Amino acid sequence: MSKKIDERIPQNSGEGANFKSYYGIQSPWNKIYSYQDALHYASRFESVLSAATTQALRIIVPDYQERAQLMCEEAYQRLYTTGKYYGDDDGFGIHPFMCGQYAGALIGDKGDDALLMCGRCQDFGSYRAEKELDVCDWDICGSELCRTTTMSLQGQAAASAERRRKGPGMDYMMVEAKGCGDRHCRIIAESREKYPAPPHELWESFGPAVTEDMKKYTEEEDCISESMMFREECGYRFANGTNNETDSSNQMINMSTGASLYILPAIAETVKRGYVTRKQADHILKCVLEAAGKAMFGERYAIRACREWLGVPDTIGEDGRVMGALIEMLLQSLVCEYEVEAFNEKEVILVIDRSGLEITATKDVPETHLWMWGGMVKTLVNAQWSLWEEDSPENKMRIKIAKRIDEFM
Amino acid sequence: MYKNIFKYDDMKRSEHMSVRTTVGWYFWTHQLLEITGPDVTAFLDYIFPNNIGSLAVGKDRYTTMLNEQGEIIDDVVVMRRSEDIYWVSTLYATKTDDWWYFHQGDYDVEWSEITDEWSMYAVQGPKSRDLVSGLVKKLEEDSVEGPVDDLKFFSHMETQIHGIPCIINRGGFSGEKLGYEIYVHPDDCESLEGYLKPAAEALGGKEVTEFQVMAWTLPTEANFYYMRDLAHTNPFEVGLEKNIKWDKDFIGKEALLKIKEEGPKREMVGFEVPEADIYIRSKQYGGPGEAVYIDGEEEEVGRVSKLVYSYVKEVNIGYILAKKGALHMGDKIKIHGYDAVITKMNWL
Repeated sequence: MSKKIDERIPQNSGEGANFKSYYGIQSPWNKIYSYQDALHYASRFESVLSAATTQALRIIVPDYQERAQLMCEEAYQRLYTTGKYYGDDDGFGIHPFMCGQYAGALIGDKGDDALLMCGRCQDFGSYRAEKELDVCDWDICGSELCRTTTMSLQGQAAASAERRRKGPGMDYMMVEAKGCGDRHCRIIAESREKYPAPPHELWESFGPAVTEDMKKYTEEEDCISESMMFREECGYRFANGTNNETDSSNQMINMSTGASLYILPAIAETVKRGYVTRKQADHILKCVLEAAGKAMFGERYAIRACREWLGVPDTIGEDGRVMGALIEMLLQSLVCEYEVEAFNEKEVILVIDRSGLEITATKDVPETHLWMWGGMVKTLVNAQWSLWEEDSPENKMRIKIAKRIDEFM
Repeated sequence: MYKNIFKYDDMKRSEHMSVRTTVGWYFWTHQLLEITGPDVTAFLDYIFPNNIGSLAVGKDRYTTMLNEQGEIIDDVVVMRRSEDIYWVSTLYATKTDDWWYFHQGDYDVEWSEITDEWSMYAVQGPKSRDLVSGLVKKLEEDSVEGPVDDLKFFSHMETQIHGIPCIINRGGFSGEKLGYEIYVHPDDCESLEGYLKPAAEALGGKEVTEFQVMAWTLPTEANFYYMRDLAHTNPFEVGLEKNIKWDKDFIGKEALLKIKEEGPKREMVGFEVPEADIYIRSKQYGGPGEAVYIDGEEEEVGRVSKLVYSYVKEVNIGYILAKKGALHMGDKIKIHGYDAVITKMNWL
């Protein structure tokens, strides 16, 4: 008999993670999900929302190259600036003797794990670094996002390097991307001093790598599905090679999403550059997000699965409480404060803390959720029901779910 | 086929071997905490398990730092700068600062981080004395502390290099018998490098620029640990119990005595993998490290902590943190499908 003990569920995961009553989330009908489940749920939902916002951006800037370059420029500059003024080298385990841009890989490595993008660092040196991911919930958003995240890392690496003794520059490239259909995401950073290659535009951040023959490809049977912070063999701790350790309380699911960190800022950049007005951008976003929301429960089996997940009693039929409960689960997962003002068969009213939804301080994130929820309610409940914002107090978003007739809906 | 990232890399090889055969110098600044006060020696003796009280002025000592469970939470070099001033060289100053704060109690001590005031250069290898001595020689007549040639291992002295005030410490992380660390003010880095570079080249040496060489390949050949290797182990498991001063009180002592009595459950062992182009995950990159199995058996007996390449022995080498007594010298093991053999932990 094998003495092997299979992976067990995390112990104490989420301890100290700010949940008041549970290390997890609880539906109005007492369905309780673990902290780990909550993070996975929020991660996937936000990725779907991010994928929808990407479609809006694609409408605004139809040309792939032009769009990707815009996104990369915007993200590089913003993350470079953020890294320059708010960088925390010590917090990423970047030691004082680490000269050059390779130390930036430590920033990406830690962020990946905190965003449930699990995988492994395969190389980490002054002239070459390699990180391989097995999971990335953002893989449905579009390959231009893969390029953009890579250039944002390039910006952070550059900012971090400027704080220390001058060292080798690094060209960060995502040479495989789950967003392109690859099994893995693989970022390889190479110093062009050691591994020469022609210069490229920011958007051309897919390689190829000069050191292709050094890459380590993990076969399917060795792939993982959880971050270190949720794996028993890791002691439920993320740890990098410089002994930077964190537990699951340092997750970033409610701190960074594809939409909040990249897509919505890119849309704001299109407004700044005159592609569209802010009003037009919001109109496009609203159209796309409502459609995406409606598509989520277009099939009856999706509704049944959602009701089961929420623990909706059979005595509750098609009313707004189902939608309200689903929103509550997301808000709890994002550790976003809210109050329940009404929750009955006629109406549900939730008063949501806007700042809790303004992930990465991106001001229009609450509206994107509102528009998506507005579509979801039409199929999760039925078309008699609507979701809208009404009488919001300052810094709050007061949403109402009720039956409504609107001839211009 | 996974091309070995060390073996065929002429740059890493050249930098590594310059330290082994002549001299290599590199920017090696660590974080520095300066601590002083009437109770400073007693406090450090409480914080660290090794003997601090016996440390003479101008001398250094390596020691682990333990938590109450006896786990190693840092390994540092303590430098006694004067009767009541010590420097502690670490890479985890923020954590150490917190740790000291929470354990200060009634000890009358104060400390501050002085990392921004001192940059450090390592000069390592058989010709390192020639290099450092050559740079200091012109000023020897002015030196009040004697020539650098007489500096004993883990001793430091104040001197000047072409007018640059500096502290020279004999020691290092390369495993070389001869090695020095030069501390200078950050404003003097460029000037110092201007002297180090030609002096090294004149001796057939060079600058080491690769992190993997300075932090991994050089120390591993000599059985030195990077902190990641030590995390969540205790001194008995990694062979660092020998210099613990048992007749004093220190954090972790009670737990460590229990471990001593019961015996450690794990131990660090060396291994080699003859095949060159391999894919074996190790903790030095983060994560749990590859599981290790005795050939033909199913039970996991350890995890790979470190895997590098020995340019001296021309073979993949590393450390495994294994169940105590499970692996012995010469044992044949399988790691991720590759044949490996258990060895001693020193390849020099």
